[in-house]
Amino acid sequence: MTSLASPAGAVRKPWPFAALLAELWNDKAAVAGLSVIVLLLLAALLAPWIAPYDPAAQSIASRLTPPAWLPRGNLEHLLGTDQLGRDVLSRVLYGSRASLLVGVSVVTLAGSFGVVLGLLAGFNGGRVEAMIMRLVDVQVAFPGLLLILLVISVVGPGMGTLIVVLACTNWMIYARMVRAIVLGVRQSPYVEAAEMIGCTAGRVIFRHVLPNLTSPLITLGILEFTNIMLAEAAMSFLGLGIQPPATSWGLDVANGRDYVFVAWWLVTFPGLAIAATVLAINLFANWLRVTTDPQEREKRFARAMAAERRRRRRSR
Amino acid sequence: MDSIRVFWTAAVVSAALCAGCVGTSWASELTIAIGSEPSTLDSQLREDGGERAVSDNIYETLMARTADGALVPGLAAEAPSQQAPTIWRFKLRGGVKFQNDEDFNADSVVASVQRIIDPAFKSEQASYFSTIVKAEKVDNLTVDIVTSGPDPLLPSRMYWMKMVPAKYSSDPAFAAAPSGTGPYKLEAWNRGQNIILKKNPNYWGDKPAIDQVTYSFIAEPGTRLSSLVAGEVDLITNLLPEFVTAVPAYAAVPGLETSVIVLGADNPVTGDARVRMALNLAIDRKALSENLFGGFAKPAQGQLVNPKAFGFNSALSPYPYDPDRARALIKEAGAEGKTVTLVGEAGRWLKDRETIEAVAAYWQAIGINVDTKFFEFGEYLTQLFDKEHRPGAVFVQNSDELLDADRPMTSAYESGASYASNSDADMAAKVKAARMTTDVKERAAIYAEITKHAYDEAYLVPLLNLEDVYGFSKRLEWKPRPDAKLLVKEMSLVE
Repeated sequence: MTSLASPAGAVRKPWPFAALLAELWNDKAAVAGLSVIVLLLLAALLAPWIAPYDPAAQSIASRLTPPAWLPRGNLEHLLGTDQLGRDVLSRVLYGSRASLLVGVSVVTLAGSFGVVLGLLAGFNGGRVEAMIMRLVDVQVAFPGLLLILLVISVVGPGMGTLIVVLACTNWMIYARMVRAIVLGVRQSPYVEAAEMIGCTAGRVIFRHVLPNLTSPLITLGILEFTNIMLAEAAMSFLGLGIQPPATSWGLDVANGRDYVFVAWWLVTFPGLAIAATVLAINLFANWLRVTTDPQEREKRFARAMAAERRRRRRSR
Repeated sequence: MDSIRVFWTAAVVSAALCAGCVGTSWASELTIAIGSEPSTLDSQLREDGGERAVSDNIYETLMARTADGALVPGLAAEAPSQQAPTIWRFKLRGGVKFQNDEDFNADSVVASVQRIIDPAFKSEQASYFSTIVKAEKVDNLTVDIVTSGPDPLLPSRMYWMKMVPAKYSSDPAFAAAPSGTGPYKLEAWNRGQNIILKKNPNYWGDKPAIDQVTYSFIAEPGTRLSSLVAGEVDLITNLLPEFVTAVPAYAAVPGLETSVIVLGADNPVTGDARVRMALNLAIDRKALSENLFGGFAKPAQGQLVNPKAFGFNSALSPYPYDPDRARALIKEAGAEGKTVTLVGEAGRWLKDRETIEAVAAYWQAIGINVDTKFFEFGEYLTQLFDKEHRPGAVFVQNSDELLDADRPMTSAYESGASYASNSDADMAAKVKAARMTTDVKERAAIYAEITKHAYDEAYLVPLLNLEDVYGFSKRLEWKPRPDAKLLVKEMSLVE
């Protein structure tokens, strides 16, 4: 908007993200969310250097040591030790790798596949739509766990398999949502106009339809991310996912479940890590959703202007 | 609490005062939590722990076991005698009646045997009785049981076969309204809620102390624990060792289960006897039993045979914990950094996942690269019994219900059978010979030879003999049995 107002904008050529960052700075919750996300990513990347112990190093004699600030705790294990005497802090740091990797990859894979199929179905209609949507119906009706068991028994358990399998059983919801939105947008005047003036199908889809999907897709992706994290935990616990000595937050929560009455720290810290991740992503995504939605953005801009005017009037 | 205590004291006093008088208003009632509701109370059909907990009190068997695990006559009048290598003769106790007033006699035994071995009946317990060909009535209180070959285990098998009435057992109503010769009979079965048993007034043996038992179905272990703490139930099974301080009282007894890792003796790395020995020496079993299991497990005595079972070799002791020697052996065998696949499952047995992960870490520490693979239970079973591709190492928990070496031998020692992972034909021949040997001393000698040989070759990594831990209410008095049966007639309530 400023660039439109001032012709000098072309001369100054501000860093394209500067405006965005300024906008982000106004939303303190989103800033907090983003910082937590950055911290988590750093923790995951730097785990081998910052973790005090090898996450698989056991010491059965000192099992179930409580966190340092409790009576029986000691400073050697800040967050205590688990049922085999492994350091909980190190496990939480290392666990972030598998949890984040699985969550992000599955959401990306399943999301891309689902969005492409949903766009195809919604935009083309007719036989293509019927086929894709019946495929979705069949897959939704097909028990996911059975498919997972089939794949795992052929390929063998592991993180790669887990990501592919979870993506294969979770893409349908994206396809359904995208198709529904595309069906609505397809009837709107600007899409008809674009087609009328001879835009190619690709241009119509990517330039005029896809932007409408950004904010609902972000919301759905976030919700799915949490689901995937929990699904990964359940799978790994059954022996279908992450295999020791690697670990993940979900797996540690599942493993510590039996001990929750005698050692709360086993489930609490990885659980808190999951909660913090989900909350941080939610806060940041909330801002991102508004920023990517032109109408919402207009409203936010209007609110900001109104607040500014009120402030000015009061100060006068 | 106090008012309850006063009530019970009053009840005990009044009971003592009118000892012997019939029909007092007071009754001692016990509540037991079981994990699952039985699908039937026909005790010959299913192989199900929940069902067994109930029907062990309704039905009886020809042979029984004392609280120490010794085999004694139950419904049989005396220990069976062998008429021929394949014929066992049982003399029956006279004057015993089923709860539906049918007499217990040779006809009921014949009917019970023929019923359970009938392939059309599809009993899940049939594998316990695979050697039995038929039962023949000799006279009203004498029966011959005929086996396909000499079967030294037959008396133990008859401790597993519950006797059902000859006529009523073919009635479709039998599954929901059972009738046995036992000390308790079914009072009510409230589906989805509980099963109530009442004392059988016509019981032939000593009168039990408890008048009524209620079995509540509580699936979640945590809920069972809180029910016990809240005083809703008097007895729970499979208490986690960590929780013994949380319950009013507990008792532990050496159980039937032994955890073991079967090594692939024909596989590349574990094919070397030095590696197998090293894998045994690498594990600190004492630390596992005392810390991980809180003392409610004992290091296995270098064999899979249960210490209470026939064929247990008392000359063997646990493999020592000697990581230095293990490392040296691995170096000697040139197996440093080589990969061993350890196959396991999680959630089926007490602390299985923890045990497997701990073993993997011990092995890693002596220079072996361990590839731990947890599988879903169905897939795990496929891997366990896969004859073509033996895993380098696979975790199993063996339960020795018959308290006889034959079962663990057939499962883990005999080449080509069940999940055994060696091709030692000589040892397999000995296992087969022992199965056919009815002379007790000779049979024990063969088992001693086999267990010693397998110990030296380190075919297995026997881990721990597990104990069964029970949570009690304050008022329950009972000594848990090594065979894990919940016999209410052995329990009493104090206040």
